[in-house]
Amino acid sequence: MPWLECNSRRIHYELAGPPHGPACVLVNGLTQYVRLWHPFRDALVAKGFQVASFDMLGQGQSDKPSLFIHQDDQVAVLGRLIERLGDRPIFVAGISFGGVIALRYAIDHGDKIAGLVPMSSFAEIPAQLLMLGNALRTGLILGGTTFLQDLLFPMNFSGEWLHSMRHLIELARHRGWLANDVYALQNLMESFLEFEPLTERLSAIRVPTMILTGEYDFLTPRPLQESLRIHIPDSALVIIQRAYHAFTLENPGLTAYLLTRFAEDVMAGRWHGKQSIWVAPENVGGELVRFPEGFDHMRAIPVRIQADEIAPRQTAAAS
Amino acid sequence: MKAFLGPLENGRIPALQQTRVSAFLMSAHGALAGQLGVALPASLHHGWQVEMHSQYCREMEILSLLGRATSWIPDPALGFLIWQWQLAWVPRPISGVADRMQGMLIDLAAFGHALHAVIRPAALLPESYPDDDPFALAMRRVEFESGRLMQAQILFLKGPELVPVRDAVASAVERRHAQVRDLWQNMLHAMEIDTSGRHALVPAYQAAARPAEAIAAQPSVAIREP
Repeated sequence: MPWLECNSRRIHYELAGPPHGPACVLVNGLTQYVRLWHPFRDALVAKGFQVASFDMLGQGQSDKPSLFIHQDDQVAVLGRLIERLGDRPIFVAGISFGGVIALRYAIDHGDKIAGLVPMSSFAEIPAQLLMLGNALRTGLILGGTTFLQDLLFPMNFSGEWLHSMRHLIELARHRGWLANDVYALQNLMESFLEFEPLTERLSAIRVPTMILTGEYDFLTPRPLQESLRIHIPDSALVIIQRAYHAFTLENPGLTAYLLTRFAEDVMAGRWHGKQSIWVAPENVGGELVRFPEGFDHMRAIPVRIQADEIAPRQTAAAS
Repeated sequence: MKAFLGPLENGRIPALQQTRVSAFLMSAHGALAGQLGVALPASLHHGWQVEMHSQYCREMEILSLLGRATSWIPDPALGFLIWQWQLAWVPRPISGVADRMQGMLIDLAAFGHALHAVIRPAALLPESYPDDDPFALAMRRVEFESGRLMQAQILFLKGPELVPVRDAVASAVERRHAQVRDLWQNMLHAMEIDTSGRHALVPAYQAAARPAEAIAAQPSVAIREP
């Protein structure tokens, strides 16, 4: 079992796939651990990628600092893992909390990676996310990991998926509870107490960036992804149909397909983000479709963009 | 090595395992209750003393519950183990803090934090263990209450008063965590139990194509290499 040392802490990580050629580093969400990436990882490996995944500090089998976890340390761990992969095209994909760590890494070390994929992620914490985060933290404190998971299930997954998996939800709850320690989760959540918005620094990300968002994600909703799109120059926003927050778990095959397409386009020089907006196919192998011209991708109903809204948006994107 | 307590005897956790686990918990929670009792004044004058009193009462409840819910049997190894554990729980002033009384309070909170954060007795129960077993319910109760009890220690240890000595506080808590974790794991290893394998269990999400019973019945064997 491979381990990294970073700032006197021990980090558990996994490598799968061929040791040469392109690599992809996967960065966990809050309650995640490396084992949860396996279906996603296997789809990438089948496409010739080497995949690295790791438990962040406070997660899974990595060290769990007792009182304080600093996001800078998580970024340092990610950097150490990327160093270990050597000189080759490296793509970094992070979901939710892990997306924040990936964004922070790309801001400071964008020259070390070939592409970035923030999924259900964010660069600032507006009032709605702050209140949701506080409620989740209170839920953890008062009701433990199980109650936190009960709150997260309907945010992470569609009703159809939850229904189809209903015979496994109790087991999923139990396995998630086994793998997570309350104090470590609380430390991870409290690492946001001193969070400074990244928005103004996003323009430093010069690498190709594919922003993935679930159509119905209400934990990190569209405005948060939009902020990434308009501030990262070479970005494209891809909306995954019918998806909620944790589409890497609900539909790992499709998400891995989008990621491999993105990486292949970047490596072939075909990628032109241009802050464009796309709708992902519903199935693996399908085509991405441009979001219809003239309609507002920020709305849930097909509303045309008003003429007086176009200019401010273009200005924001250009700046 | 196994990831959980067992194998079961007549559908229950073996009495020796119950005795060993509960003895550890009673030793640690008893020590904490004792230290809180000494630190608690007869008459309360500050808000935080109310929380301390609540902690004291919860710890006493845990002791009472464990004493009654465990199937105790004589265990010749317990004499040495309890001596070893009690020695470890003795309060110690921490380095890097000039005020000796404050140092003792930090150590008390660090010990409480370690005990409530690191020790997860309910995670030792086999996944399909009956919900109505008193020992199982006690383990779940202790773990659930620990998550709440720990909040008082977190508020104190992360609080503004201790910002000037934050490094010393962090070191003290790390030291207590390592100590409690080592003693807990040593006790479990002696019963052929290694909890590190819990992260290697197949996540339920990946079991869609397999019946839940097959996943739940996955052997409870730690997969970590020696």
